Amino acid sequence: MTAAAQQPIEQPVLEVVGGPGGLSREALHELWDFREVFWAFVLRQVKVRYKQAAIGVAWAILQPVLAALVFALFLGRYSNLSSEGVPYLLFALAGMVGWSYFSSATTTASESLVTNQNLLRKIFFPREVLPLSASAAGVLDLIVGAIVLVVATFAYGIAPAITWVALPLPFVLLIVAAGGAGLGLSAVNVYYRDVRYALPFLLQLGLFASPIAYSLDVVPASWRTPYAILNPIAAAVDSIRRIVLHGDWPDFPILLGSLAWSLFAFACAYAFFKRLERGFSDRV
Amino acid sequence: MSALVFERISKHYRGGQAYRALRDDLVAGLGRVVGLGRDEPQIVRALEDVSFEIPEGQSFALLGANGAGKTTALKLASRITYPTTGSIRVRGRIGALIEVGTGMHPELTGRENVDLYGRILGLSRRDIRSRFDEIVEFAGIGPALEQPVKQFSSGMQLRLGFALAAHLEPDVLLVDEAIAVGDAGFQYRCVERMRELVQEGRTLVFVSHNMSAIESLCERAILLDHGRITADGPARDVVHDYLRQVETDLVAEGVADSIQGQGLSIVAVTLHDERGSEIEEASAGKPLTVRLHFQAAEPIEEPIFEVGLNDGRIGPFALASMLIDGQAPRSIAGEGYIDCTFADLPLLPRVYELWGGVRHGAGFGDVVDWQRLRFFRVSGDVDGGGPAAVSHSLANAPVRLPYHWGFGTGVSS
Repeated sequence: MTAAAQQPIEQPVLEVVGGPGGLSREALHELWDFREVFWAFVLRQVKVRYKQAAIGVAWAILQPVLAALVFALFLGRYSNLSSEGVPYLLFALAGMVGWSYFSSATTTASESLVTNQNLLRKIFFPREVLPLSASAAGVLDLIVGAIVLVVATFAYGIAPAITWVALPLPFVLLIVAAGGAGLGLSAVNVYYRDVRYALPFLLQLGLFASPIAYSLDVVPASWRTPYAILNPIAAAVDSIRRIVLHGDWPDFPILLGSLAWSLFAFACAYAFFKRLERGFSDRV
Repeated sequence: MSALVFERISKHYRGGQAYRALRDDLVAGLGRVVGLGRDEPQIVRALEDVSFEIPEGQSFALLGANGAGKTTALKLASRITYPTTGSIRVRGRIGALIEVGTGMHPELTGRENVDLYGRILGLSRRDIRSRFDEIVEFAGIGPALEQPVKQFSSGMQLRLGFALAAHLEPDVLLVDEAIAVGDAGFQYRCVERMRELVQEGRTLVFVSHNMSAIESLCERAILLDHGRITADGPARDVVHDYLRQVETDLVAEGVADSIQGQGLSIVAVTLHDERGSEIEEASAGKPLTVRLHFQAAEPIEEPIFEVGLNDGRIGPFALASMLIDGQAPRSIAGEGYIDCTFADLPLLPRVYELWGGVRHGAGFGDVVDWQRLRFFRVSGDVDGGGPAAVSHSLANAPVRLPYHWGFGTGVSS
């Protein structure tokens, strides 16, 4: 007999009542209690990702660079798209860095519950850990992409400005937006596997509906603010360009407005997720 | 103080497909609007109004046939799935061993999986660091540690998973048939580990088909049948009831009324005691007469009768054969019977199978094929106070020979 057995410590009692779940203060506490598990999932994904690929981390650099090159070759040369006065390649790269994070994080997060169904059916942890850690694992790519962008900027002879201190803001916006999309889609994907087929198509539409290959200035002035607030990709990419390419401050009403909207959408997606969570292991 | 309480728990699953495409819901929705195809979703009732309370430190077993709801109960307790109605209260940390090997990542090495999967299971980084060698030794994977898990054998993967889970230090440990994993040495380590945790005063909830493990490990058990509790009490009694119930179901399964052979049929097989009166059950230690009632279409010269006893394994463990003793009758004709008497049946009390067959005189060719004729029960008491007295005498070696132990030198009693 150990000492612990002789003098039982008051253990917390957990009560689970039947019926559907929901978002609550306890749920948030529990997520915090499982932060170790969250990090383990993040680490696991990062390790697995670069272990399987022959050129490993280089993909994080190649992805946005190649996409920007394709845009530069075809759109930059043969169309009259404005690139806000900077070289089109650099302009497209600034857009692609944000976009490739958003699209890959949303895709892996939306699949995360289904991919890890073995764990879902065997172990307890708050299920949002899966999509959230999937989006978080992509942040490494985002950081690598940002470094590539900075290096490219220097290579084109653009000097850093004081406004660069605002650079984390659009990145936070992208992370919140991708996190919310991943949470919501992963929950739907458990019930309707149609998500797997619909998402690539939606993302393709999103790529053209967002100012990646073109400038936000293309959007008529009266529509610009509501459009950029509702489409966080637009707000983020425009802010990154203003900061890095032009040394300006971002358009704060748009950036903060979009951040507020994304946080709201994230909260809704989270509540939706928690509402469905209890059925996941039965339905996946 | 209770470690785990189930209060009026019901768990219903929606039957049918595992998941649907949006199209199916659209079709169903449209159908409802138009008033067509209004098929009710099939509901599977895995558990129905189940209540029990497990005091802290008790070792507790869930018994029942496949599909009785045992695994569902464990999944509910560990919050892998949630109840439809009712409430569950758990005091302290819960740890589950439910086929845990499948959660490891195939691309990562054994070492990386111990670290990351261990943390996912709920071990802290400090625990993993301090108990790393212990875990690896428990799993017995040694030199494979630096290889990707996909190169492990499936047994190694399961062992590593179990080793990790076994080193969690939960207040309530849930074990689902996990000791069916690995070789005998590993199974022994698992049972020892469970015994250790029980001795430390942790609560154990154990699901297994291994009756002797349940009897020797658990104090209390409940028996589930189609999602409802049908017995609750000391593990030994519930194991006894369960094994009896399984036997009863077997006997009720019955046998064909009449067994047709070539020109000969066995129309009934009855049991008789030493006075010749018909009995339903044989008694351990008493003589038993098996009477084969036959009907011969034409006279049969020197038919060779055989009767065997079987306990469910392949082949009879006792055989009465005219092929051996040479006592075949000169001939049989019309209706009649043949008796075969076993003296002082040295069998443990449980249900056995009675097999029989009839061959042609020379011993070649069957008149009636060798087959199971019926089940029969041997009644008697299970005695002995050993740790698995009930399950061992009800499920293992069937023959009781008188024996005693002698303690030589080097033995203290």
